[in-house]
Amino acid sequence: MLEIIDISKDMGEFLLDAISLQVEKGDYLVIIGPTGAGKTILLETIAGVYPPDQGRIRLNGEDITYREPKDRNICMVYQDYMLFPHLTVEENVGFGLKAHWVNADERKKRVREITDIVGISHLLHRYPDTLSGGEKQRAAISRAIVLNPEVLLLDEPLSALDGQTREMMRGELKRLHMLFQTTIIHITHNFWEVFSLADKVAVMNKGKIVQCDIPDAILRRPNCEFVAQFMGGENLFKGTCKINGELTEIDVDGTIIVSSSCAPSQEVYVSIRPEDIIISKKPVQTSARNIFSGIVTDVIDSGTLVTVFIDTGIQFRVVLTRLGWEEMNISCGEELYMLCKASSVHLFSE
Amino acid sequence: MNKPAPNWIRLITITFCVVIGTFIISLLLLVVTKPSPDAIIDSIMSHEIQFAIYLSLVTSLISTLLCILTAVPAAYALARYEFFGKITLKMVLDMPLALPPLVAGVGLLLFFGTTPLGQTLAEIGLVFVFTPLGIIIAQYFVNLPFMLRIMRSTFESISPRYEYVAKTLGCSNIRAIWWVTIPMASNGLLAGSVITWAKGIGEFGAALMIAGATRMVTETLPISLFLNMSCGKLNYAMSAATILIVISVVSLYIFERYGGSARL
Repeated sequence: MLEIIDISKDMGEFLLDAISLQVEKGDYLVIIGPTGAGKTILLETIAGVYPPDQGRIRLNGEDITYREPKDRNICMVYQDYMLFPHLTVEENVGFGLKAHWVNADERKKRVREITDIVGISHLLHRYPDTLSGGEKQRAAISRAIVLNPEVLLLDEPLSALDGQTREMMRGELKRLHMLFQTTIIHITHNFWEVFSLADKVAVMNKGKIVQCDIPDAILRRPNCEFVAQFMGGENLFKGTCKINGELTEIDVDGTIIVSSSCAPSQEVYVSIRPEDIIISKKPVQTSARNIFSGIVTDVIDSGTLVTVFIDTGIQFRVVLTRLGWEEMNISCGEELYMLCKASSVHLFSE
Repeated sequence: MNKPAPNWIRLITITFCVVIGTFIISLLLLVVTKPSPDAIIDSIMSHEIQFAIYLSLVTSLISTLLCILTAVPAAYALARYEFFGKITLKMVLDMPLALPPLVAGVGLLLFFGTTPLGQTLAEIGLVFVFTPLGIIIAQYFVNLPFMLRIMRSTFESISPRYEYVAKTLGCSNIRAIWWVTIPMASNGLLAGSVITWAKGIGEFGAALMIAGATRMVTETLPISLFLNMSCGKLNYAMSAATILIVISVVSLYIFERYGGSARL
């Protein structure tokens, strides 16, 4: 288990501000945040590149805060791979083994094994300059996991790849994680990229961890406006609460939204995921607590998904599949009914 | 008007380049073609020019080696670390570049001739004044900034993250530098060494001040050129000059070819 306890580091341009995180052995933790949030610095501090200004880092109960990087058994893969350009793929992958004084025969065998698994054993004699982005990424990951590290740190491993390669690499990461059961910390600025990979997600902003939870909770129950915005919670409103039995009624500019969550305060933010809203052309009998009627103000077709904007007094966004949109034949200016369950309405205070 | 107007600035500026280039080439050709080829070969085979070639090679190789050994660590520090007084120190280290070599030579002469440290060195056998050792120290002092600047720009062009990765893979600090940064800097090292060596072979002013111009003792190729010009042995002078030109052309080619991101 990796414990990061109250770590702070001021690097001028970037900073870490009292960060605490716990990663269970074998977990896949994704740290997500905008550019400049301090994500890479956090990974480098965990790897031991910089000593923290304060705080402790513990690995399996042992304090490793000031231990040299070479003695931590924590490996890091950078976004731009950092493959050594003067070495072949084979020498790159075997680099860590050589640094640990593994003899040449054993090294060759283990490099062969790992590159077979990762699927780059046909590239062993090549130099990094001649590889594609996906191949470089595989070589960089092989170079790390051949050492069987306690923790593998991945710095935006998918963002430099093109769409199809990224899809393949995501599957590959999942497979390698299942296979080796390595504890992984993966940082990214794109949540959708890793939704299916993560056991846990930590959201980072301005050097702080603002929320750490399972992916679904981050998505549906953001604890502040920043997380909700960053996760693309487009239906985000501010309103005042009134308790009505087990339910909370929130008044958003005259529209009353019903939630089954407890109101954390009088003034709250309401977030509803666009995909949790159902629309229909006629009024429907349903158990859903929230039923509104509104006018379609805009339709944005982004290929696979279609976003429909509905004005009910406040502006809602609803996401439909292209098929669903074609079947309903929606156009601007039309009146629609939209419904969503009280349990889909999430509340948080500032 | 159905033709574009000629770009006069382009035309004029390129003309400047061509005129300057022609001037340089014609000077070099004049030197090389002044004596007949036979006379050059005769001179090169002479005892005196052979000695000058030998002394130039030995002193310049040693001074280049000294430059590498001291400039590489210093350049690494300037490229990688932030420390108090770095900007001032950087300027001081570049100083010999702007200093007239004669002034540098006078400084060296005073340092080795009059200070207690110089006298102590002389007592244990390291005599720099009017000896080939003086030539080496003069070449070293004047050319150190070249090596330093080239290596600094080379190290700056290598992301420190390569070292970070090497360390997480099990390298100590020194091994990360030795296995990763130095091999990645090898082109810059080659380019820097060649240019330092070529500058060393041509070093005249500072060497003249501390080592003097004594025939067959401190007579390097440029000193030989100077001595033989003074006493009218033109063939000897021109063959020394020709050798120096060949060395310059070859080393400039190597620098441009392998220099990569290394810049002066």
